[in-house]
Amino acid sequence: MSDTHTQNPTALGLDVGTSRIVAAQRQDKDIQFDTQLNAFVTIPFSKLTQGVLKKEQIPHLVQDSEITVYGDESERFANLFHRETRRPMLRGILNPDEAGSLMLVRQIVRLVMGEGEGQGRRVCFSVPAAPLGANNEVTEHENSLKEMLSKMGYDPHPISEGLAVVYGEMEASNYTGIGISCGGGLCNVCLSYLSVPVFSFSIPKAGDFIDEGVSQLRGEPATRIRTIKEESFHFNGHFANKIQQALVQFYEDMIQALLAALKDQFASVQNMPKLNRPIPLVLSGGSVMPPGFRDRFEKSLREIELPVAIAEVRMASNPMVSTARGALVAALSEL
Amino acid sequence: MRGVLVRALEWRARRFSDPVDRLQFLRRNLEARRQGSHVKAAFIIVLAMGAALLFTAWLWTSSRHMTIADANTATLGLPTKLPAVTASSAAMQAASIADTPEPAGPVWLVQTTSQFDLYSNGLRIEQQYGTSTAPRQYIAFASDSSHTIDWAGEWRTEPAGIVYHTTESHLAPFEEDQNQSLRRAGEGLLEYVSRRRSYHFVIDRFGRVFRVVRESDYANHAGNSVWADGNRIYLNLNQSFFGIAFEASSKSSGAEPAVNAAQVYAGRILTQMLRARYGIPASNCVAHAQVSVSPVNHAVGYHRDWAANLPFLQLGLADNYKLPLPSVELFGFQVDAGLAGAGASSLAEGLEAAFAQVRRDAAAHHLPVERYRENLWQRYRDAIRAQRGKSAQQEYN
Repeated sequence: MSDTHTQNPTALGLDVGTSRIVAAQRQDKDIQFDTQLNAFVTIPFSKLTQGVLKKEQIPHLVQDSEITVYGDESERFANLFHRETRRPMLRGILNPDEAGSLMLVRQIVRLVMGEGEGQGRRVCFSVPAAPLGANNEVTEHENSLKEMLSKMGYDPHPISEGLAVVYGEMEASNYTGIGISCGGGLCNVCLSYLSVPVFSFSIPKAGDFIDEGVSQLRGEPATRIRTIKEESFHFNGHFANKIQQALVQFYEDMIQALLAALKDQFASVQNMPKLNRPIPLVLSGGSVMPPGFRDRFEKSLREIELPVAIAEVRMASNPMVSTARGALVAALSEL
Repeated sequence: MRGVLVRALEWRARRFSDPVDRLQFLRRNLEARRQGSHVKAAFIIVLAMGAALLFTAWLWTSSRHMTIADANTATLGLPTKLPAVTASSAAMQAASIADTPEPAGPVWLVQTTSQFDLYSNGLRIEQQYGTSTAPRQYIAFASDSSHTIDWAGEWRTEPAGIVYHTTESHLAPFEEDQNQSLRRAGEGLLEYVSRRRSYHFVIDRFGRVFRVVRESDYANHAGNSVWADGNRIYLNLNQSFFGIAFEASSKSSGAEPAVNAAQVYAGRILTQMLRARYGIPASNCVAHAQVSVSPVNHAVGYHRDWAANLPFLQLGLADNYKLPLPSVELFGFQVDAGLAGAGASSLAEGLEAAFAQVRRDAAAHHLPVERYRENLWQRYRDAIRAQRGKSAQQEYN
């Protein structure tokens, strides 16, 4: 092709999710991903503990009488000290109940993007689409992250999480299709036509909703539920185990809520482009990982009547990093 | 026009293998279109000029007897002389018709179940997506060799021909580890076309033949369209022609053929069955791009699927691309610049033959070509009006 174009080789993609933060950057022809849990745990301060953490190079902060361990290591320390990990973010945005949430996100972002200053590198970072009636909260979240990244020396640009999934996974259909990211706090959805978002929305039912729901129903800690969900849960077959049964029930609830919202969006959208062929739908995010999820989702999808035909429902090539990949594609294309 | 531009944009975008480049290209072009009319106009002009240049090059290479100036003006529909008539092109038309093969022999229904129909030539038609519309009924206008048309028309219920389409749907790579995606894409497509009653048959990527609309009914596949054989003229072929769609994209990348061997074989035995059972002449088995027209800008090839490379010979037919396009010859339709973007080189001979005929007819009527063409457009409007009038009358009765 003769079209001239330039790419910014130092651009970054950043997925700031409720449960994980993922950075993507190009290394020659490949993409390198760095990921950390977006979580922390506080433990009582002691010089001995601080010394061990320093020696082991475990990311931590010392505040007053507490040590805060953050990122991937937080889970190990939570188990060690029999505590629950905490989240700097809740339902897709900075957690208003955690005073130092922005500072912790900043520390975790440093872990995945490197310690050095941003040096004006362009970064596209994911933000959730606003859940119904919560526009202001999302705007505030977006502004906070933008300011944080600017102060770190980057050139930040927000991108809707669902659109990032489209950019990360739908090159083959010229970025036309439906991208869905089911993460910890929210399920984000975007319908894109030739790379332009037609609509984006989110619903507050995702991984945390499932964990908390099952936790309350079965009287088990949410952390244990999450561990079961991530390590052994699948949709195929029947379960004697009541936790597994409850997981199926809450997953089903999430899928139905997602599809109902999708149908509503189609009904309310104006200026819908004329789609002259069936479009693909891609599932990504940690909450779509259980084996059999795709089949269950597709079965429910086929039961509702959407005004567009879906050519295929497929899993993202790597559901855990597709948002970051899409954010990187957006950043590299210098939109 | 908007649809054409979008398709051209998509086609160009697919040529970028790097996802970043592709996104950059799409966003820049769409942004340009969104911005003020100056930028938008510039984009359209550049696209049109590019397409015109491509088309010019195609005409130049396909016609040894046509000058670049002729090609430019003919392409852009400017008032000028049409391509010179050549003895070779006229001979080619005759040859193509003479070469038309006949059906190999009778084909009969062996078994019919709720799941499939089996025919004696090995054809198996899957039934699970079958649907119906309304019984076929259409008006065909009798025409003689001097193009005198009998506007009284004739009501018919027998299918007169076959139009071949591509679905232009999402295609997964045709590889073993893509089985699930391939199956899913096919199923999604079949549900979609069944809901829209889009074709009579779809041939999926594994070469399976699916019935969509039943054979006795019309299907939505070729709305504004024109074809003619030695005896009759057919307008708006939804009613009069079968629609067979290959799950494929005409714009398959590189040198890859649009359809695989299994699909071609299925197309061949399906064509054989339809021709044998309904007495369809081979010359009435044509590509969608050959019949599709736009009444708005009087251009042929509004839809461009199979504008090139329909494997006529492998389907047991003659190379019908060589046939003069009736829309051009009888109704004065022209070629718009965008057709070149569809890689329509296969249509060149048919177009050239039709243009030559228009030129001869204009001379016979002692009229400049443009003036004669205006008369032909009026003839098309009269034909459509007659068809609608008779349909309304039939409904009223």
